[in-house]
Amino acid sequence: MLEVKDLKYSYNKDYQALKGVSLKIERGQMVALLGKNGAGKSTLFLNLNGIYEPDEGKVFIDGEELKYDKKSLLKFRQKVGIVFQNPDDQIFAPTVEEDVAFGPLNLGLSMEEVQDRVEEALERVGMSGFEKKAPHHLSGGQKKRVAIAGILAMKPEIMVLDEPTAGLDPQGVTDLSKLLNELNEEGITIVISTHEVDLVPNYADKVFVLVDGLLIGEGTPKEIFAKPAILEKANLKVPIVTELFQELEKDGFDMENDYPLTIEEAKDKFLKLLNKN
Amino acid sequence: MKFDMDYIAHNNNLTEANPYYKLFITIILLVVTLVLDNLYFDVFIFLVMSILILAVAKINYKSYLKFLSIPMAFLIITCLFLMFFFGKGEVIYETGIFGIVVRADSFHYAVYTFMRVLGCFPCLGFLALTTPIAKILHCLDTLKVPKILIEIALLMYNTIFIFLNEIDTMKKAQETRLGYHSYISSFKSLGALASTIFLRSLDKSETLQHSLDSRGYTGELPVYVPRKEK
Repeated sequence: MLEVKDLKYSYNKDYQALKGVSLKIERGQMVALLGKNGAGKSTLFLNLNGIYEPDEGKVFIDGEELKYDKKSLLKFRQKVGIVFQNPDDQIFAPTVEEDVAFGPLNLGLSMEEVQDRVEEALERVGMSGFEKKAPHHLSGGQKKRVAIAGILAMKPEIMVLDEPTAGLDPQGVTDLSKLLNELNEEGITIVISTHEVDLVPNYADKVFVLVDGLLIGEGTPKEIFAKPAILEKANLKVPIVTELFQELEKDGFDMENDYPLTIEEAKDKFLKLLNKN
Repeated sequence: MKFDMDYIAHNNNLTEANPYYKLFITIILLVVTLVLDNLYFDVFIFLVMSILILAVAKINYKSYLKFLSIPMAFLIITCLFLMFFFGKGEVIYETGIFGIVVRADSFHYAVYTFMRVLGCFPCLGFLALTTPIAKILHCLDTLKVPKILIEIALLMYNTIFIFLNEIDTMKKAQETRLGYHSYISSFKSLGALASTIFLRSLDKSETLQHSLDSRGYTGELPVYVPRKEK
């Protein structure tokens, strides 16, 4: 679905942000890209739909190589939608509906089709009724939803979100995770950059770890969180439930090398341990 | 109380009134006031528009005064300059300082300029305070105003809010650390704020460009026509 081959990108001759990144994401997957601040996550994302043109390396979408002429860019940007970290950077129109309509209109669709898509996208993110509102009067979480609706309305195959949970309150985070899970079930491939390790095992099928412009790990959450060396290099930690079980192990409980990552798994493990003793 | 013009424009008794009427009233009154150039008419328009804004649109008088205060300050400074430093006519008053005098024609200019602006400003205020920008721009678009002007206006309007927000946040950050405690530190803080805001706006504009490109921006902002409500 989405493949990146040996991607290198530098902002200037002294600073290379990406030093040869290769990764492959299958259709329908939900992928988390982990990495500390300044690891190159945002830079990588901007390379995925041709905002940045890499110094070396290639990007393939549906097996087709990303090209940088106007026509191909429009096609690929429809397929790969990026939701920016700060909604204020993305939402520019004076009303919510006009902003959501921006992408579809650029695709050259008929006005009727655009109206349908705007309605559908706003409904999808739970923002129906806000059509005529001015975006700068919305709360942070609402702005985020509008930003996502703006991308959804373009019907992308892949949705890339740059730290979507940053700055949201806990309820906002829960709602957003739910929304993203639903979108994923409807067939959209989702890529999320984050450092909120607690949430990652809940949704991610696959995890990539990016450090200083290089991928240093990839695998399922189970695999990645079982490798302390990788986590340390990336300034990451195991989820807080996992930490609890690691502590318990120090006190003599046998974990059989299986550490739960989510609350659900932790519950089962607890019950198992209780029954055993 | 914070003065948020956009919020007022979205929340007053005339928000839903036909924007074309408001636009035409404003433009016609502006033209008439400028063409007539009559002191009494200026005052009359000032009173009529103020009543419209305060009584009909029901806009809080404090907000209205704030709205007037900034241009009024500029107006007064301008008119003082006009009065003391221009004109070639007969001297009607001597200040006795550096030979600065008020002349008949400069006095005339100053008074007329002052009154003209005083009359025109509430006209513009009427439009600005009662009509959300989206509606004004939409009107202008159907009236065949060049697209490029509307796009620039739209992006500027959007940027102003981001800009004001940034200034607000930075100013609070400075105030927290007593950045405006004395005159000297006020000057320093203001200088730092101005230079940082410039760099930040460059940064922001680049990010905005990326996000627009990301959604297939072709260099022209398309116009969305919402579905008619049933």
